[in-house]
Amino acid sequence: MSKAKTYTYFPGCMIPFRLPHFEMAARAVLKRLDIELEANPGHACCPEPTTFTGVDFDAWVTLAARNVAVSETTGLETVALCSGCFHTLAVANHMIQEDEKLKGRINERLKTVGLKVTGDLTVKNILHVLHGDVGLERIKKEITHPLTGLKFAPHYGCHLVRPLEATHMDDAEQPMWMDDLIEVTGAEVAEFEDKMSCCGAPITPSDEDKAFTLTAQRIEKIRASGADAIIVVCPTCYTQLEMQQKKATAKFDPEYSIPVLYLGELLAIAMGMKDMVISNARRYHRVKVGPLLEKIGGAA
Amino acid sequence: MVVLRSTSDLAFRNWVLEQPEGETLLRCYQCGRCTSACPVAAIDNSFNPRLFLQKILLADESLTEEQLVWTCLTCEQCEVRCPEHVKIPHLLILAKVRGLVGGNTPQGALDRARAILAGGRTIMVNESMLKTRDKMGLPDLGQPPVDQIASVLKEIGLAKKLETVESVYGGGSNE
Ligand code: SF4
Ligand code: SF4
Repeated sequence: MSKAKTYTYFPGCMIPFRLPHFEMAARAVLKRLDIELEANPGHACCPEPTTFTGVDFDAWVTLAARNVAVSETTGLETVALCSGCFHTLAVANHMIQEDEKLKGRINERLKTVGLKVTGDLTVKNILHVLHGDVGLERIKKEITHPLTGLKFAPHYGCHLVRPLEATHMDDAEQPMWMDDLIEVTGAEVAEFEDKMSCCGAPITPSDEDKAFTLTAQRIEKIRASGADAIIVVCPTCYTQLEMQQKKATAKFDPEYSIPVLYLGELLAIAMGMKDMVISNARRYHRVKVGPLLEKIGGAA
Repeated sequence: MVVLRSTSDLAFRNWVLEQPEGETLLRCYQCGRCTSACPVAAIDNSFNPRLFLQKILLADESLTEEQLVWTCLTCEQCEVRCPEHVKIPHLLILAKVRGLVGGNTPQGALDRARAILAGGRTIMVNESMLKTRDKMGLPDLGQPPVDQIASVLKEIGLAKKLETVESVYGGGSNE
């Protein structure tokens, strides 16, 4: 058995305080794979990439670089579970690597707090860790409760994947890593139109109606695939597609609903930790997951 | 050309070109593939990224007063399709930034920015959230270093700007 590997965990705001069941599931799954996550008190909000950028981009990249610099001091690779956090850290890190002038300007500012950014940090998301570092073979060995007969729709979301030069993901339009992880659980991957569309959430502060029009389109296309559930990585996508699902389905079929699972929850279920998912579902899932879990067998 | 308050000089365009990745604007040859790929353009034909970039190219600062720029998802579907790899959503972000002084910023965006500066997080963390984490066996994350945030942003002066700016943004879609 391999020794435990530790990553610096970048928590952000949404996951630890609004959707802690993401963190709980991720930690439980990673533990099975001999991975520990270690938070650092120096980190603050990433800052989020959908509105703060448009308030003051210079401030955004500076605060992001401060977080990157804090991560650099840990000497470990950093993993952000949230796609927004991941995107912010990866993009800022990439800009620092590409733009010496920007890097110099930022380092002048970081000097005031005794920090320095080099651009040498490796910023990862959960797919890099699971698919790349751990590998499908190893994960397969931990699957004790195969999800055979179920079909899941992978919703990657935008900020996890684009821009490729900063995210170092496999493909901007046809990414496969989450598909592979779904298949490893024994389930089938649903095929649907516009695989890489947005959930709609980023424009809720400016135009909620338009946002939910896009969310509705997204869910309708997934519905047509006959998927049993949608699988997400990002807490903002989750909020839009799960917590706010009714606002979207009201636009095409108020009777319709589809469960949404965090990728970590899906893997936890397939690794035999269904009870944890069920106990958290009461508080953090609005769409019932009970019927879905019954299909897997043995649910209360 | 329509005479607008701020079209008389190249200030806006020059400022955009000076920003990191701003010079990618000059690669745009107005082919329109961004607009064809854009999901927002598909549901609202007044949202047209190609025309937004044309405005910046023409130094037409009226773009920074348009609420529509804030309905860009930053999804980058346009950028993936652009043959010149123009950083389209980033250029729209720069237009948003220029609009801050005039208040063309959704209230929600201002609230988040103020929360980040004041507490280091987008949300207010309360006792019950901390208790829940504890019950779930999740570690304490401590307090974000707010003083460091203030210090690294001092030169930019964002806190000052946010003190006075007021959103003139309606926010709703059904005008
Ligand atoms: S696709 Fe690229 S080159 Fe074509 S109009 Fe859009 S930004 Fe310009
Ligand atoms: S990033 Fe903005 S302009 Fe580009 S496709 Fe997405 S919504 Fe449209």
